[in-house]
This record gives sequence, structure tokens and C-alpha cells, in this order.
Amino acid sequence: MSLTAWARRARTPEPAPVAREIAYLEPADLFDSDIKDDPEASPVLCCTGDPAGAAAFNASWLKRIASTGRYAGAVSVRGQGGTPAAEGGLDARAHDVVQAAVTVPRQAVLIGHREGAAWAALAAGRYPAAGLVLVSPRQFPKQPPKPVGGPPVLLVVSESESQSKEVQSVTAAYGVAPLTFAGGPDDVFKGAAADGLLDAILSWLAPKN
Amino acid sequence: MQEYSSQAAYDRGEAVCVIGAGASGLIAVKNLRENGFEVDCYERDTVLGGLWNPQNQHSPLYPNTHLVTSRSQTEIPDFPMPDDWPDYPSAAQMLTYLTSYAKHFGLSEHIWYGSEISHIEPVEGSRFEVVVKPAAGNAARRLRYAAVVIATGHHWEPNLPSYPGQDQYRGTVLHSSQLKDASRLRGKNVLVVGGGNSGVDIACEAAVNAAGCVHSVRRGSWHLPKYLGGEPADFALARIGARPKFLRRFLTDRLVKGPRRLAARMGIDVPDHGPAVEEPVRNGRYLEHVGDGSIRRRGEVARFDGLDVAFADGTEMRPDLVVFATGYRPKITCVSPRLLGVEDGSPFPRLLARMFSPKQETLAVVGLVEPGVGVLPIVHWQTHAIAHWLEVRRGDPERAVNFKTQVVSESAQSAAEPDGTSPRHQLAVDAEEYLASLGRIIDTLEQEPAK
Repeated sequence: MSLTAWARRARTPEPAPVAREIAYLEPADLFDSDIKDDPEASPVLCCTGDPAGAAAFNASWLKRIASTGRYAGAVSVRGQGGTPAAEGGLDARAHDVVQAAVTVPRQAVLIGHREGAAWAALAAGRYPAAGLVLVSPRQFPKQPPKPVGGPPVLLVVSESESQSKEVQSVTAAYGVAPLTFAGGPDDVFKGAAADGLLDAILSWLAPKN
Repeated sequence: MQEYSSQAAYDRGEAVCVIGAGASGLIAVKNLRENGFEVDCYERDTVLGGLWNPQNQHSPLYPNTHLVTSRSQTEIPDFPMPDDWPDYPSAAQMLTYLTSYAKHFGLSEHIWYGSEISHIEPVEGSRFEVVVKPAAGNAARRLRYAAVVIATGHHWEPNLPSYPGQDQYRGTVLHSSQLKDASRLRGKNVLVVGGGNSGVDIACEAAVNAAGCVHSVRRGSWHLPKYLGGEPADFALARIGARPKFLRRFLTDRLVKGPRRLAARMGIDVPDHGPAVEEPVRNGRYLEHVGDGSIRRRGEVARFDGLDVAFADGTEMRPDLVVFATGYRPKITCVSPRLLGVEDGSPFPRLLARMFSPKQETLAVVGLVEPGVGVLPIVHWQTHAIAHWLEVRRGDPERAVNFKTQVVSESAQSAAEPDGTSPRHQLAVDAEEYLASLGRIIDTLEQEPAK
């Protein structure tokens, strides 16, 4: 984040506060003696453009992530899931993601799916995330901010959209090659496609964070 | 342990030493680590949070301390405070915030508590030897660091006035930092000396708790309420800074007209310059207490006389308790004043761009400014610049030279301006200008290296 970007933001009225719904699962919540909380592993915070919000990750994501010994959280931004609607556009949603990220016990990896990728990218421009994972980004800002603290960035897209213009512009913005997963961009929460995708993300997270 | 004996210094290589684990120290540790430096932070007390921690044995908190700048202008830029907190968080919330900052970024494991630095001295290769004061029964530890960042703050050494007859005064005299509990005021006739933020806050506490409160103020100053035009006052004023230049004066005057007239009605001479030049008093309750007579304002104290106090206007009173809310003076003892650009024994260092030592390029002081806005963001950008500077210095001598000329010219600019009107305003900077100058310094550092 540059100083000028911060100065501009400090002079803009803050988005109206909302009571955000945050779903989270810690390794200890799984009641599995084989799974140990890994103090070195960064926690993970997910968001998605899906209207279900945090609840969408309940099906398998949070459990799978927590089983690697990480704190797994998901946030519903304003108007999604259990979070009441409030005024504000893209910036307000990015604000919601940042506000959720600072409540996570340690520096978190931000995972954004669909529109959530755009919010996560904006949030990473103001909060030093431990990593940034963009899954099938949509409505992505043309010039996303430079992530604070230079975290590693991963771009994962479905096979069908790997050639789309949007994905190419994100690739160019971050200088990372996209990883592709089988299946459509919307069936990432359940089923075989979801497992393959999660495997890819978790193995990417494992050595670095 | 042999390597910690007083002879051999333990070499920490490229690591950086941060002195102080208060707000500024924590931000310094986080930003240096984010840029890949190993950091050792030394804290003389056994807790983090510096002045915000009431468990710190030197804590300057007084009853009911709250921030005088609003949340959005005070929070650390990359770690916002929870947005359901009030606009002006309390000292306890500030400590919660700093603790969660330290926990979130894993800073505690880099802090050595109970370790006071007795002195630091430059050694060859612009490195520093740091001597950690021994705790009882231990030998002094000597360590070598590539750089030192001093983040000890300037709210520790009470600035006590001396009036004629004060030594023979038989009543109770306290400095604001010794007044831990508002119950000490209850039922007493209290005299509060000092018209800064702490003096005004304590006068307001006394107005509701004490039997009577007299407030001695030497000179007029700006009094702003905490809200202006339906917004936190500092936010409302900062927003005007984003307007075209020719409108700013007009908009500011319109916004502060009401408080200015109220202050004049209460017999306060408001200075001619705007509220941005020196830190205004930010308290909305004070003038109402003056208006309902629960605070009586007097001029400067002339002398103490037995149990009585005489004022310059000839009136006298017999207080049960005198509170000196006369502020603090900066005091950095661990380093030779020469390295901080002080030749004449003044407590105010003369630093390049208000943070770099003019003598040693690897010595910096953070948070030694009074910007009139929240100091945490300023410290964030200062340490951001310092971390980048140390990085550039390591790898790219050419950019380092560019940077040095930049810093010297920025400091020449600020030195040309007249200093504040009172000695306590030596640390005052115009936030707008100082941030712009920090921005230029950071830009110079972040430029792509010339091929």
C-alpha cells in the first residue's frame, strides 16, 4: 500500500459497520487426535461471490483446510449469507474482508473465489496477507493494488476459462501463471472438482506457509 | 555463558536492534521483519504496549485516558481497528489493539523484556555495539547490530515546572502521570496546572469528581471539540486537506468558527494561526464545564506560599491537591547526544527528516514527532522508509546516494520553517507536509534501480 493510497482512504468516510458472519474451524474442532494444530502454518480466510457467503465453505473446504493443521475461516461480506446488507460497493466489501482478516489469530492467507477474488485482491492491497489465492476471478479490477508485504500469489482457474481475457489480465497483473482445475468455475465447493482444487491449493500452501 | 561476557560482543550479523516495545517499537519490528530483517527488540519493562499499558511501571496514563484523535486517523494503516469500536477508543482498547497487533504478526518472540539498553556506540563498518543493562546477578551483554532503531517515545520524563516557593509548599503536588485514580480527586479542592490535552482532560475529571477545580493556563490555544460538522473533528479537518487549495482556508474557518467563538466567550485567546500549526486541545466537554462554573480558569501561577497558591492576576487559593499536567520532555540517554545532532544540551534531537541521525546512517529514531494527528500511521511510514533504506543501503550504493540528498533537502525545508511557539512544540510537525515529505522519501527508495 502506498502512502498516497492510505492518505486517500483515511480521508474517505469508512463504510458503515456491519455485524459480519464469520464461519471458522480450528484443527482442535475436528476432534481427531491425528490432526495437530501447526503453529507455523498460516491461517486461511476464504470469501466467495456466491450469495451463500461463508456457508458455502462449510460443505468441505473448512474441514479439509483445518485437517492440515490450519485455522480455517470464511467470511460473508455485506449482503451475503448471515451478514446484513449495507451500503457500499467493491471497497466496502474489501473492507469487510480486511476487518475479518484482522480478527484471525495470525497473519492469514486470503482465498477469494469469483467476485471474492476481487475483494481479496483489494484487501491484500491494504493488509499484509501471508498469501493470496485467486480462484476463478470475476469482475476483477483492471489494475489491482500491489499486495502489501509481497505475499506469494496463486491463480487457479477452471479449464474452461483458462483462455479468457479476464484470466489473462489477472495473469499479467501479478506475473503468475494460472493453475487449472477440472470442472466448471462454479462447482468448486462440492464433488470431485472441489477435491482436486483443494488439493492443488493446499499443496501450494504447504511448503511456503 | 562465555560469549555474553563483558569482553566479547556477540555479533548478530545483519540483524537490527529496536529499542522499546511500545506502539512505535512494535510497528518498527513488524515492518523491519516484513522487509526480511532479523530483529531483536529490547523493552525495559516486562510488558508490551509502552505508555498504553497501565501495568508498565512508568505508564503516564491518567484516569479515563482516551485517544484525542479518532480511530480512522489513528489506526495503523495495514492493521485497522475493529470498525465497531467507538470513534475515540479508550486507553484499554488501545492496549487490546496493540496486543492483537503483536499477536497477529508474531512479534512477541522477538522482544526481550526487562532489558534496558545502557548505551549504544558506533563501531567500524557503521555497525553498532549495544550494551544491555544487566538484571540483578547477570553480566552485561554486549551485542553487535547492523542498525539501531530507537523507539522509546517521549512521554516518560515528566516536565515539572518550578515556581517560587514550590519547595516550601506543604500541600500535595502530583504530576499527571502519578494520578492513577480519579478517586484521589474526590471532595478535594483541585488546582490543575497546564493547558494541554492532559491538563484539560484532568480538569474535566476534577470538574465532576472534585469539590472545586481551578485550572491554571499560561497561554491561549485552540480548543476543538471531538466532533465537528457531524464527523470526528480530525477527520473533518483532514478531509478539507483534499480540497483545492483556495477553498481550504475558507472551509476550515467555516468549520471552526463555532468552537472559536465559544472559546473566546470563555475568555481564551485563540491564537491567530489555524488549528493545524500546533496541536489543538481536543475536548468537547471542557468549555461546557467552564461555562457551568465547575472549572474556574486562572492565569499562570505566580508563587507557592505555605499552603496557598498565588496567581499572576493577584488572586490566591488554597488547594488540597495540585496536579501538574505539564507534559513530558524527550529523553534519550542510551546514545551520545552528538549522534542525534544535539550540541548544546537541549533535550530535542535534530534529526534528518525527523528520524535519521545526522551522523550515523544506520541509526534512526521513530515516533519523535507531534503531528497533531494520530502518531501511529506516521510511525508506520517512518519505519517503512527506514526498512527500505536499510535494504537499499545493503544492495545499491547509487540509490543510497540519491536517497541521502533527498533526505537532506527534505530536512532543510522543514528547518526553514519557524519552530512552534512554546518549547513543547519543538516536536510539532504539520502532518500534511511531513507525510508528503515521507512520501517523497519512500518514492525515492522504491524507484526501480537504474540499469
